[in-house]
Amino acid sequence: MRVISKEDFDSFVNSIINDDSLNVIGVKSKGDKFAFGTLESANDLRLDYDVTLLPPKKYFFPQRETLVTYDVATGFVAKDPADLKPTVLLGVHPYDIAALLQMDEIFRDTKSDPYYFEKRKSSIIIGLNIQNMSERCFAPLMGCATIENGYDLMLTDLGNRYAINIGSRKGEELLEKHAKNVKAALARDVQLVGQKKQEIMNMSQQEFDFPTELIPEMLSKTYDQNGFWKEHSEKCLACGSCVLVCPTCYCFDIKDDPNLSLKEGKRIRTWDGCLLEDFAKIASGENFRPTRPTRYRHRYFKKGKYLFDRFGFVSCVGCGRCSSNCLPDIANPVDLFNDMYSEVLDMGLEIDATAAPEVSIKTEGDINYVPKLATIVKKTPMTDIETLFEIKLDDGSILNQMPGQFVQVSVLGVGEAPISVSSSPTQKGMFQICVRKIGSVTTGLHRLNEGDKIGIRGPFGNGFDPEALKGKDLLFVAAGLGIAPLRSLLNYVLDNRAEYGRVIVLYGCKEPREQLFGDELVALEKRDDVEFKNTVDWCPENEVWEGNIGVITTLIPQINFDPEDTYAIVVGPPIVYKFVIADLKKRNMPDDHIIVSLERRMKCGVGKCGHCQINHIYVCKDGPVFNYSDIKGVPEAL
Amino acid sequence: MKPKVAFFDFAGCEGDQLQVANLEEEILALLGHVEVVNFREVMKEQSDNYDIAFVEGSCTRLQDEDRLKQIRKNAKIVVAIGACATIGGINSLKNYQDLDDVRRTVYGDKAQLFDTYAARPIDAVIPVDAYVHGCPIDRDEFLNVVKSLLLGKKPEIPNYPVCVECKKNENVCAFERGEFCIGPVTRAGCNSCCVNEGTKCWGCRGLVDNPNENSQKEVLIKYGLTVDDAIKKFRLYFGWQERKK
Repeated sequence: MRVISKEDFDSFVNSIINDDSLNVIGVKSKGDKFAFGTLESANDLRLDYDVTLLPPKKYFFPQRETLVTYDVATGFVAKDPADLKPTVLLGVHPYDIAALLQMDEIFRDTKSDPYYFEKRKSSIIIGLNIQNMSERCFAPLMGCATIENGYDLMLTDLGNRYAINIGSRKGEELLEKHAKNVKAALARDVQLVGQKKQEIMNMSQQEFDFPTELIPEMLSKTYDQNGFWKEHSEKCLACGSCVLVCPTCYCFDIKDDPNLSLKEGKRIRTWDGCLLEDFAKIASGENFRPTRPTRYRHRYFKKGKYLFDRFGFVSCVGCGRCSSNCLPDIANPVDLFNDMYSEVLDMGLEIDATAAPEVSIKTEGDINYVPKLATIVKKTPMTDIETLFEIKLDDGSILNQMPGQFVQVSVLGVGEAPISVSSSPTQKGMFQICVRKIGSVTTGLHRLNEGDKIGIRGPFGNGFDPEALKGKDLLFVAAGLGIAPLRSLLNYVLDNRAEYGRVIVLYGCKEPREQLFGDELVALEKRDDVEFKNTVDWCPENEVWEGNIGVITTLIPQINFDPEDTYAIVVGPPIVYKFVIADLKKRNMPDDHIIVSLERRMKCGVGKCGHCQINHIYVCKDGPVFNYSDIKGVPEAL
Repeated sequence: MKPKVAFFDFAGCEGDQLQVANLEEEILALLGHVEVVNFREVMKEQSDNYDIAFVEGSCTRLQDEDRLKQIRKNAKIVVAIGACATIGGINSLKNYQDLDDVRRTVYGDKAQLFDTYAARPIDAVIPVDAYVHGCPIDRDEFLNVVKSLLLGKKPEIPNYPVCVECKKNENVCAFERGEFCIGPVTRAGCNSCCVNEGTKCWGCRGLVDNPNENSQKEVLIKYGLTVDDAIKKFRLYFGWQERKK
């Protein structure tokens, strides 16, 4: 530990401000509040602050950030590297340092986010032990009021001087280069710092009625208490303030921003929030978390349970920003968890702290947001609103996808949308996507012609596992556009026909003219190694249909299968799963013999942006293909 | 061929068209993509041959409906610009008064000569394809909507409240400054411009799709507004939307 007089500290601050190789950020006043901002003089620094409006994550994960630039003539390019001057953050409270450490884990999980880390890695964090605590701060309860790592230097105000803990060589060098009269701390200083930290632990005006460790388990017990969630969220404005000011929230949206030439533009990411109404809404209009109570609950579960299970930490550092920014005052986690504790007691439940989960976060390379340029080589209209596109990657590479995986398709200037690959990997040299004209990107895609360029990222997701299905009887059940992803596996199986048992295909759509892949269905019907049945929900008077009329489930009684030897692969709109699965269960099909593929909103494709999340599962990364036995207990799944 | 563009105005102050006329450099870039055939504020020529019609102002008389319907017939795309056209705007304040009184106040002893009916946004009369909200409209948003239309995509108009933009802009909440703000139920897209400048949101972009009005009114009252004043807050711009419910 070192000490420096306040006078010499100001000189140190002014010296780093004058160092052109550094970008110095500090806490300044903003109205009656405080905010991190570019520091122009040590005089502007307000180390007596209680809490800043926004946490310092904005310097590493900004509100608006260019990921990719594009030019219709040349395609997509990663944006120029940021101004990589190291950012010095001066005066960061321990809870915000704790939050950054959590963000580091989240952004390096599975795929590392290069945009975050290019800025984060070069940063220098000068922490500050809390001098004034905001009224709603409960950092002591979350164990984040003081911190022993995650900083390069840590300041403690000792009246006429600061004590400085050295956290890294980088911090020490900064001090050596810019500070004068830094002295070794005396035993008295060390003792005073200890005393200050002790005082900080008692500064909070907030109190839990229960041990903090109970949070994940309390949540587990109250998921289904709909009345509880409804009551607590009744006044929710769905304004997103609680999540937007949160130092550990990281959900984002990605959109295209064309410039006025209409030929060039940027793809940007912006902060998003799971409390906002359209967060989980997809192009067809389906909203997978449409009500305030479900969104409100999701926020607490994400922070207190899902992230805990994955990373081993409750993703809340107790800064109190959500609480103080909520106008109806329903976002104070302390109040909510205290109420939840009473609820659990009222339910007559005894709870113990959850055992620490096994954490193994691995990083396998960087996320690549830059799409590959590709060409539409063939465009085959299938119905009024669906078209089959055959696509080749311009660099000559192959997509190398598994059946059931999806790609992110970019229409230049319009945006990016997730679309399942419809062709089997056995089909070499190109791949196909069957696209319904429904949102901006898919409508834009339909306007394009053969020879036109698009962008492709992926493949993403897990896909079906054709190896595991070898030797089994397969029952394919497709409803509507569900045939598109299903076809990738069906064609794979047909191309390796000898390796599989019976192949039964059931296909249903609303009316005859909506039938997809008509020629292929005729061919299927003619094969003697495939049992094929199709149906329409209804047949308008002016159309001809000689087959079955009725919803897809009316086909199930028409077939025989041995539930022990048969695997069902079911893909369709959300409503279909419920009924098809129920009927398969009636025929004694074991849960783990049912495989489904789910649709959700997906922006990043790599389990970061948050949109596709169903409870703890990221559909884009853990799915879209799921074994029913793995998700039947997941409330938001089906 | 460049799409032909026309501007029309109904009951309004023409401030939105002024925003377009004031686009300066951008207007030249824009003219590379479109041909303007009707724009009373900047040109004399007129034509009924157009693809995109921008309509400002609300409909406040039965007679105006015919003109609107004709515009709809002529245009492939109709865009409502400005609060009067998109949500009825402050014109709808009169919907809460006796319309004869309103006529007498405005036209005095000539009141009998002038018709009026409840002010309404243009989508209460004809189908509208796109909206540029605001009072007045934001020039950047106007450009974004035009760019989207030219690229054939649906303009992205946020369905979240102004708070989202306020938070991203790191504004001190207007309520903390003693202001009564209507931003928590107002559709964003303005980049919280009024609060950025130190005032409050008045609600000119209309309500979000599914606003929690009761909670917002409670908040206003909690911070010291009377019930009457809270209701008036909502009426200033949401008059038509409130009545419609």
